[in-house]
Amino acid sequence: MSNQSLGEFEELVLLMVAALHDEAYGVSILENLEGKLGKKLNISAVHVALKRLEDKGFVKSRFGGITNDRGGRRKKFYVITALGKRMLDDQYALRTAIYQQIPKISFG
Amino acid sequence: MKRYPPQRPLKFLRWFCREDYLEEIEGDLVEVFEKQSVVSLRRARRVFTWSVLRYFRPRFMKTFRSLYPTNVMSILRHNLLITLRSFARHKSSFLINLTGLSTGLACVLLIYLWVNDELQVDQFHENKARIYKVLENRIQADRIWTSETSSGPTADALAADMPEVEYAVTTTRNDVHTLSVDEHPLKATGRYAGKDYFNVFTFTLLHGRRNELLKEKNNMVVSESLARKLFNRADETVLGKIVEMDHARQYTVSGIFRDLPYQATEKADFIRSFEEFRADHPDWVSTWFSTGAATYVMLKEGTDVNALNAKIAGFVKQKTNGEVTHRTMFLKLYTDKYLHGQFENGVESGGRITYVKLFSVIATFILIIACINFMNLSTARASRRLKEIGIKKAIGAKRNTLVWQHLGESMLLSLISMVIALGLVIVLLPYFNILTEKQLTLPVTLAFAERVFGVVIFTGLLAGSYPALYLSGFNPAAILKGKLTSALGELWVRQGLVVFQFTCSVVFIVAVIVVYRQTEYIQSRSLGYTKDNMIVFEREGNAAETTDLESFLAAVRDVPGVHNASSIAHSLTGHNSGTSGVVWEGKDPNDRTEFENVAVSYDMLETLGIQIVDGRSFAREFPSDTAHIIFNEAAIAFMGLKDPIGKVIKLWGEDMEIVGVAKNFHFESLHENVRPLFFRINPENTGRIMVKIEPGQEQATIRRLEKLYETYNPGFIFDFRFLDDDYQSQYRAEQRVAVLSRYFAGLAILISCLGLFGLTAFTLERREKEIGIRKVLGSGELRIVLLLSRDFTKMVLLSIALALPLSYFLTSSWLKTFAFRIDLSAAYFLLAGVIALAITWITVGAQALRAARLNPAQALKRE
Repeated sequence: MSNQSLGEFEELVLLMVAALHDEAYGVSILENLEGKLGKKLNISAVHVALKRLEDKGFVKSRFGGITNDRGGRRKKFYVITALGKRMLDDQYALRTAIYQQIPKISFG
Repeated sequence: MKRYPPQRPLKFLRWFCREDYLEEIEGDLVEVFEKQSVVSLRRARRVFTWSVLRYFRPRFMKTFRSLYPTNVMSILRHNLLITLRSFARHKSSFLINLTGLSTGLACVLLIYLWVNDELQVDQFHENKARIYKVLENRIQADRIWTSETSSGPTADALAADMPEVEYAVTTTRNDVHTLSVDEHPLKATGRYAGKDYFNVFTFTLLHGRRNELLKEKNNMVVSESLARKLFNRADETVLGKIVEMDHARQYTVSGIFRDLPYQATEKADFIRSFEEFRADHPDWVSTWFSTGAATYVMLKEGTDVNALNAKIAGFVKQKTNGEVTHRTMFLKLYTDKYLHGQFENGVESGGRITYVKLFSVIATFILIIACINFMNLSTARASRRLKEIGIKKAIGAKRNTLVWQHLGESMLLSLISMVIALGLVIVLLPYFNILTEKQLTLPVTLAFAERVFGVVIFTGLLAGSYPALYLSGFNPAAILKGKLTSALGELWVRQGLVVFQFTCSVVFIVAVIVVYRQTEYIQSRSLGYTKDNMIVFEREGNAAETTDLESFLAAVRDVPGVHNASSIAHSLTGHNSGTSGVVWEGKDPNDRTEFENVAVSYDMLETLGIQIVDGRSFAREFPSDTAHIIFNEAAIAFMGLKDPIGKVIKLWGEDMEIVGVAKNFHFESLHENVRPLFFRINPENTGRIMVKIEPGQEQATIRRLEKLYETYNPGFIFDFRFLDDDYQSQYRAEQRVAVLSRYFAGLAILISCLGLFGLTAFTLERREKEIGIRKVLGSGELRIVLLLSRDFTKMVLLSIALALPLSYFLTSSWLKTFAFRIDLSAAYFLLAGVIALAITWITVGAQALRAARLNPAQALKRE
């Protein structure tokens, strides 16, 4: 699974897609990430990450219905795939495992 | 309030972004924009633009190639089929376009060949970039006169004093002589030339040693064709053979050169050594005070000619110890002389290049006129092809596919026209060659083919680009609903193009009228002497002996049918020989104005019919007439003499008494004013015999003269010309312009009319119903014809208004080159306007009448 690597920002986006389950589209992901990270992001960065994730098979997408918002343009919603979820789980497990190896000493 | 994102970045995004991503990206961008714009519109717009730019990366770009593989071959085949069908269906416009374009292209080809040939003249000399002719600017009382002659010692002095000069040669003018080998006389033209002549100019030497050609005084280098005529062969056995000249001198052939290409300006059948000329005229060759020789120099590689010109400007003054101050020497590139050989007041003022440019412009305009026909007919007939375009667009044809289809159509037409034009050129070239006195051929080279192809593409683009863009720009929905109303702008373009065509045509008509009138004026202007029925031939053989001249002339006068005869030094067709050696009382000592010097025998003035306004002509009854002189009126006026008869002036230091004043006559072309001139009796120097014969029996008289000549001058050939022909040859350029402009004007008008014809036919077809209804309601035929002609009349009137000032400017600047010219009268312009209008009315009126006569029921029942 050498090509199945995940960049830091990609991981954040993937997490957010999973978290927003079924309500994840470009702008909602952007706003939530901005809220969590506390800094401004550009929408294009989110799109780049989403397209990469889709190529890798971690997310899949579908168009929403036509509304009067956004000048009549449809939203594209993303959901996490089983593969994406496993990837997140693996990452989480890996990090947790290493984290727990940190000796219990004070970092004060 | 609804806020919109900036449009330009949005358009840019839509242009580059791949379609499957576009909706999502655009939507998200707009949503972000809308949210941000609540806070700050400017910031939101800035962020929007910046974001769009950040999408400009390969991942988001569409592939600009078409998504679906297109079958190029089948599209081409389809387009070709459609094109051929439309040609076949609209035969009249196809034929009009074909005629117009092919004649236009034929013009372009012919003029291209001619211009190309003009540019090739003298270019065959290998050292052309380094060969210069020595010219002199001479200050005269009223102008600076640029002369192509220089003094005898010029060449040797330049070679000795100027290290930049590699070779310098002197040549004389060409003379006609009788050459003979074993009593077979023939006439040939040749000149003297300095020993390095063959090093400077490129001659292909067939036999002989290049450096020893003019070594001996009696050497003669002959052309291949002359060698064949003299010896029936041109191989090395000819070398060393003896040729007799004028049955007096003998020469040894030292070399044979291949005949010069016809693009050489200075041709000669034979070349003699200048050393012989030097031996014959030792004084003339060594003096700086008279001029007459032509001097050529070849400079060393890398010489700055401007610097050298500055160095030699005072050369004549320096060589004469400051005595001659009015002559400034300068070098002129030899190959430039042909096209840029005209000087006015010492400054270069064009020459043949004017005509080269003029005809290039005319050819371009004729081609444009033909292209306009195509544009107008295609856009006018657009309605017929609307459905085709609409359906193609509706089923997904891109605009550029349609553009290419229509451009392809015009290219194909232009290609067919070119093939016809090439055929036309092949047919017309012999006539064109006679007209232009050239030997043009269609070159069969790749370079020429490339150029022809280039012209085809250019014509196709010129004719086709506007219709292609116009036709492909329609909105398919509107077309298919039949809602197309022709835009006002498009009508303007079409009318503007017609106006342009007719403006050109009217300018051409005016030019033709003016050129025709001026050439007619040249023919008919009284010159002050009679050139008709005047025979000219060279004085040679026994007649060349001064003692025998009088008896020969007397014998000529006795020939039945001869009116009078005498001999003269002057050709009467241009400047021959001038002198500043006339001194009169009150002359400004610095004045160097040259008087034309005409040596004559007795009776010459009478033979020519030159009028004496004061005093008398030369007469044998006055034996001292060799010390007498006759001036023309211009000379008397220039000298400011009152009561000139009996006054004494000095000519070259000797006293001469003025015995008569001749009325001004034109001894130069009508481009020039009549300049000061004098006659003196000096039979030795008269090289030409002029014989005035009675009109009506020229042939018989000439035969009798020939017989007399041959008994008097055994071994010489009676080779005569008519003075009138010599006179005409001065205006060859003008006559050529006259004839060519007539053809070109005819063509321009013809092509314009074809276009107008096509447009009218189309308009009438569209207005068929309107005419029918008008007739039903009681309109008369005349009214309908007037109604239909009105639009076209307006256009042509506008063209006339535009063309008149333009043509006035053009023709008056052409006429300015003549000192004697017709006045531009309003009648010429009026005539041109009337012709243009008449042609329009005939073209339009005939068709309009036919349409007006049609039974209205016919027009109305068709649906």
